[in-house]
Amino acid sequence: MDRIQQQMAQTRRDFLATSASGLGTLALASLLQQDGLLAAESSDPLAPKAPHFAPKAKNCIFIFMAGAPSQLDLFDPKPKLNELHGQPLPESLTKNVRFAFIQKESAVLIGSKRKFTPHGECGMELSDVLPNIATCADDIALIRSMRSTQFNHHPGQLLMTSGVPRFGFPSVGSWLNYGLGTASRDLPGYVVLTSGRGASGGASNWTSGFLPSTYQGVLFRNKGEPVLNLSNPGGVTLEMQKKGLETLSSLNQARYERIRDPEIASRISSYELAYRMQTAAPELIDLSGETQATLDAYGVGRTEEGMKFGRGGGKGTYHSFSTNCLLARRLVERGVRFTNIIHASWDHHSNLDQEIEFNAKMADQPVAALIKDLKERGLLDETLVVWGCEFGRTPLGENRGGRESNTGRDHHPFAFSMFMAGGGIKGGQVIGRTDEVGWNIEEDPIEVNDLHATMLHLFGINHLKLTVRFSGRDVRLTDVAGNVVEKLLV
Amino acid sequence: MPRRTRWIIPFCLLAVTACAATVRGEDENPQPAAKLPPAAERPVDFIKDIQPIFVASCYDCHGGGEQEGGLQLDARDNALKGGDSGRVIEKGKSAESLLIQYVAGADPEKVMPPEDIGDPLTPEQVGLLRAWIDQGADWPDSVALPEGGDPRAEHWSFQPIVRPEPPDVKNDLWVRNAIDRFILRKLEAEGVEPSPEASRPTLIRRLSLDLRGLPPTPEEVEEFVYDERPDAYEQLVERLLASKHFGERWGRHWLDLARYADSDGYEKDRPRPWAWRYRNWVIDAINADMPFDQFTIEQLAGDLLPNPTLNQRIATGFHRNTLTNTEGGTDKEEDRVKQVVDRVNTTGTVWLGMTVGCAQCHTHKYDPILQREYYGLFAFYNSDKEENIPAPLPDELAAYEEAKAKFDAEMAPLKQAVADFEQNQLAQRQAAWERELAAATGPLGWTVVSPVSFTSAGGGTLTKQDDKSLLASGVSPVKDVYTVVLNTKQKRVTGLRLEVFADDSLPNKGFGRGESGAFVLTEITVTAAPTGDPTKAKSVTLHNASATSADKKSPIAAAIDGKDDTGWTIDGNQKDKRQVATFEVKEDIRFESDVTLNVTLRQVGGDNATLGRIRLAATAVEPDQVSELIPDHILDALTVAADRRTPEQQKLIGDYYRTIDPGFVKLTAAVKAQAAKEPPYPPTLAQTIAMIEEPRKNHLLIRGDFLRKGDEVPYETPAILHEFEPAGEQPTRLDLARWLMAPENPLTARVTVNRIWKHLLGRAIVPTEDDFGMRGDLPSHPELLDWLATEIQAQGWSRKQMIRTIVQSATYRQSSAYRPELVNRDPANAWLARQNRYRLEAEVVRDSFLASSGLLCRKIGGPSVKPPLPADVAALGYAGSVKWQESEGEDRYRRGLYIFFQRTVPYPMLATFDAPDSNTTCTRRERSNTPLQSLTLLNDPVFFETAQALGHRMMKQHPSDKAARLQYAFQSCMARRPTGRELEQLESLYDEMLAEIQTDKEIEGQLIGDIKVPPEEVTDTAASVAVARIIMNLDEFVTRE
Repeated sequence: MDRIQQQMAQTRRDFLATSASGLGTLALASLLQQDGLLAAESSDPLAPKAPHFAPKAKNCIFIFMAGAPSQLDLFDPKPKLNELHGQPLPESLTKNVRFAFIQKESAVLIGSKRKFTPHGECGMELSDVLPNIATCADDIALIRSMRSTQFNHHPGQLLMTSGVPRFGFPSVGSWLNYGLGTASRDLPGYVVLTSGRGASGGASNWTSGFLPSTYQGVLFRNKGEPVLNLSNPGGVTLEMQKKGLETLSSLNQARYERIRDPEIASRISSYELAYRMQTAAPELIDLSGETQATLDAYGVGRTEEGMKFGRGGGKGTYHSFSTNCLLARRLVERGVRFTNIIHASWDHHSNLDQEIEFNAKMADQPVAALIKDLKERGLLDETLVVWGCEFGRTPLGENRGGRESNTGRDHHPFAFSMFMAGGGIKGGQVIGRTDEVGWNIEEDPIEVNDLHATMLHLFGINHLKLTVRFSGRDVRLTDVAGNVVEKLLV
Repeated sequence: MPRRTRWIIPFCLLAVTACAATVRGEDENPQPAAKLPPAAERPVDFIKDIQPIFVASCYDCHGGGEQEGGLQLDARDNALKGGDSGRVIEKGKSAESLLIQYVAGADPEKVMPPEDIGDPLTPEQVGLLRAWIDQGADWPDSVALPEGGDPRAEHWSFQPIVRPEPPDVKNDLWVRNAIDRFILRKLEAEGVEPSPEASRPTLIRRLSLDLRGLPPTPEEVEEFVYDERPDAYEQLVERLLASKHFGERWGRHWLDLARYADSDGYEKDRPRPWAWRYRNWVIDAINADMPFDQFTIEQLAGDLLPNPTLNQRIATGFHRNTLTNTEGGTDKEEDRVKQVVDRVNTTGTVWLGMTVGCAQCHTHKYDPILQREYYGLFAFYNSDKEENIPAPLPDELAAYEEAKAKFDAEMAPLKQAVADFEQNQLAQRQAAWERELAAATGPLGWTVVSPVSFTSAGGGTLTKQDDKSLLASGVSPVKDVYTVVLNTKQKRVTGLRLEVFADDSLPNKGFGRGESGAFVLTEITVTAAPTGDPTKAKSVTLHNASATSADKKSPIAAAIDGKDDTGWTIDGNQKDKRQVATFEVKEDIRFESDVTLNVTLRQVGGDNATLGRIRLAATAVEPDQVSELIPDHILDALTVAADRRTPEQQKLIGDYYRTIDPGFVKLTAAVKAQAAKEPPYPPTLAQTIAMIEEPRKNHLLIRGDFLRKGDEVPYETPAILHEFEPAGEQPTRLDLARWLMAPENPLTARVTVNRIWKHLLGRAIVPTEDDFGMRGDLPSHPELLDWLATEIQAQGWSRKQMIRTIVQSATYRQSSAYRPELVNRDPANAWLARQNRYRLEAEVVRDSFLASSGLLCRKIGGPSVKPPLPADVAALGYAGSVKWQESEGEDRYRRGLYIFFQRTVPYPMLATFDAPDSNTTCTRRERSNTPLQSLTLLNDPVFFETAQALGHRMMKQHPSDKAARLQYAFQSCMARRPTGRELEQLESLYDEMLAEIQTDKEIEGQLIGDIKVPPEEVTDTAASVAVARIIMNLDEFVTRE
């Protein structure tokens, strides 16, 4: 144990003593709990907490495909749509519908150029641009009947991340950390990894809303410095940092002894975690310990050679997305509660066929590798992997401004697809069915609030009981709705 | 509660049918009356027959304070108005009344009372209700209001504010003003002593942070600590209240409520370059201690005050801080409605401390606010528009006015010279010119030449017209090239003219052959040959082109630049149906015989932009006279004898002459040259709110959905509050603002003092600052709250006076040290047996570091600044929408409240320290404590720079005394001297740092940074920087004690 650790340990013990006399917050209680030193409930906001009932999932990796991928070209085959290619949609379907860009009068259906074939023992039909994810079919529950209420990206993303299409509400990751704390000692409990162009919602997609910033997502970069301000300024050596923090801790502690404000204890522990993150975060993104086989499986180091791209994020996106998937596994191994991989954009209003091929090729290999890797390491059972997006895309071709060339699809909240795996999800099944052109849901509609209720359920949380009083209301992730989707559960 | 949630939906469905029914109702009477039990055939009495039914079957959900779906059946006026979905009682028409359809179970999906709540009504009961409605729904005054009224009306915050007498206390000696009596009363009741007064260093630091948001300088601390005057404290308070930084500190509190930001929000998140103009107004108004009622009225309705000043209009920028969605495909009306909703909700939260927003989609679940009343408030904001107006700052305006006066003075004689010339010389000179023309022998104008051959390469048909022009018809190709051959009757050609006409036979009666009516002449080329001898053809170079009209991007010069991807086109708004281009010939084209010209008109821009009707003319005048050739229409006018010209012709000639008289042209050119020097009006704008001309019809929106309009709703305020009395027939925002500030309003004064109190004591009297409703916390000291609420009004709504009163109290001056004996009895310190201590707000953290290091730029106001931001942070914005051009010079060291706030990419340091996201009004900031905060303070380059600056200062102040150096740094940050033990530890850290630094030369340089230091001081400066960094990370430094 080096000096700083001794110092910290001393501080802890002092707190323990004061805590026993009934005073104040003990920020380090969680760590002591891990050491088996303390059994009592802790007031560290991120200390692990017991769920309402036995959980299936401990961690979640939420792969957020911002911009809304076309479910009709990836997950939901529609032979009839291909037959009706070029025909107008019956007015009965579009009568009361608003579009972002489509001109109703001249809109026609466009089929998909993709080929769908059955995969796995379950025979799940998936598009030819997802050959690797297809090999995970038996681990995946594919939902073809997701529904949103929002037409535009930013509100849609807020709904998918926070359960409410408005600003100021905590995101799923914040709720989970608020409800359960985190097992990660040296890293934050909620980590965000991004690649490609920024998502419309920016930082509001991982905000803690009205909850303290303790619960907000921490953006890790996958190269250079993984966290903002992680490295010491030039000239401050490791030794100086240690000595400085020792003195800092000791002076803060002296102050604490005089003032007795538990916030000072929290501050000491924040500096302690910061110090540990300085080592742990670079170690996290250092992939030199991974085998070449693993790196290859995820596609780390891949280039986009031969691929044409426009909106997809440009050069380096493949490598960056692959790295993020691998980092997600490493974060799970380190006990991080919620990892959010965000990629934008899938907003294919035009040039759909080329763009979706580019994006699918980017995502297919690493996402499949992640599921398999987690499975091989025995982590999939307790890790919930979600592929999600804010809404889907229309079976109609986009004819913005009455344009004749329909090469893209508009926003479509009435029916879209997502998939989940691991963490108590029953794989090898397709849930829900849309009509023959993929316009409306015909079976098992699942609202975003239902999805969230189910996610919380997998973590052992009753979504009706995880509430925070805000603005005179007991606010929950699922707003005023939400039902657990039993079919999804093992 | 299941029944509540359940019944929201049926009532909304009901609304749809309600609309349908009222639209069709009158003549068709589509209701299946047959299915309804018949109306009773006798006179019905409300008290005897109807009320008992309501009591038995309806009041569980629609009476006694319950008003599911906004329907209250125990109060006459409300019952007759109906619920969230409209009227339920149609007087005289029982079959059409929704009330009857529901209780009769006309639709099995929608039966009242619901199955699980009560038994269905008997046919007799329905019959009685029908008869009552058919007979006019008479409801006597005596029972118009429910017995005992709405119990919620008794809620504490809706009661009138009565000034309480400050209570007697035992320990009178402790009391400094009335506040202390309320606080001490409670403490004495609990048998608790107040805490001792904080030390002077703590007091000045507390006051300085609370009133200026900046720590005191070491000099200020010295001065105060040794100030022996009995009113030293009061003097200090006065100094701080008078500081210009007061407006920044308290302005920032207000900006939280105003959800101030420098960008639109949402996906596009476009910058708002003038948002700061409103921030300036806030700072100035608060520094001037503008009374809070005026402060309110100007922000909510400054534009509606009589003859509003510029500042009063700028004040309306308060509601311009609402987000704007410019994402492609956004429904404009939907976004507008969202903005109005935000304005209503913000007003409710800021001034009423009520969560009125809950009533947007349905009647408020807990508080007595009907959905209809929500849309009553909505009406006040529903007819607004956004307007950016010129809003120069006072010094900008002064500078402009000075420059403008100078300009005007210089301009005046030039204009006078023109006027003199016009008056004294112009007419004579024009007459002389006309005489000269009459005597002239050569051609004065262009000679139109009749084409001898003409072709359209694109396959169009060109037909020669009587006026020698060529009109295109037939095939209309996307691109075309015309070749026209002209036999001039002259031996020399010095210029060429092309006329282009709009023609009735062309699409849209335009100039071109395509639908757009436009044309693009990509290139005009000419060869010349002696007539009949094409072998001697020479190419002709055209130059000095001019045209009667040209699009900015397609000037006439583009038609002779040798390029096919540029060309000439006219300005699309031309009304003149004839456009003219003229060219001079560069070479001396001269033959023994007449000249034949071969003109090629290339029109290869595509899109059918080909010429419809053209005419060509040539001239042989001397090259320098080509530009002086008189246009045809002037010549035509000149041919009329002077005394027979129409006024139009006279004007035409006169106007033309003004362009050619050398003397006059010189004078007007001088005016024009001077006009170009006119100082521009200052570009500064302000975002303001104004009213549209014709107020919008104001509807309730069913479920808050902008597409589902319910009943029209008048301007109104919640009935639970004091009466609303508009000044005129048409209520306005100004009436709303005055209603808010009316002395009878029980909420605004309480809400306002509660916030001021919170900023000074760390804890609000009503901890739920945004919710004074049924679900909010009760006040810890209700009488104190009311005393403060009456006091602020008695003091003319002066913010400064309220703050003065609070900070002068003994309560405020207490030490903030924890009282272990009270931790269990009063864990939240609600009794205030001590002051509170808490982490500084994000901006104040930054400001403190900058101030203590000496780097802070103390400039007040102005545009937002962009201090250094890690490169890839901006990349998080959508598709590179966020540009972050780092500020230079002193702007890097401005206070935190001036940092450009980009909503989708908040400045990381601010977000890390819980600055609000500015998307909605923020009444309460979180105060979290995270490792990211530690990393920021330790390592963020901006913060390290402050440690470097402090290190350098330490050396400068005390070059040869280590202990003094450390003491100085500590005092600069903490406003107190370090204890012996603290100093000892810092000294030993200093020595350890020194030892480490001496192991490696490179470290020194990096720690010191760019500032030059004498060689003998280098190592000590480096150690000072390293220790300063640690001192600045002490909990105490980021804490207001």
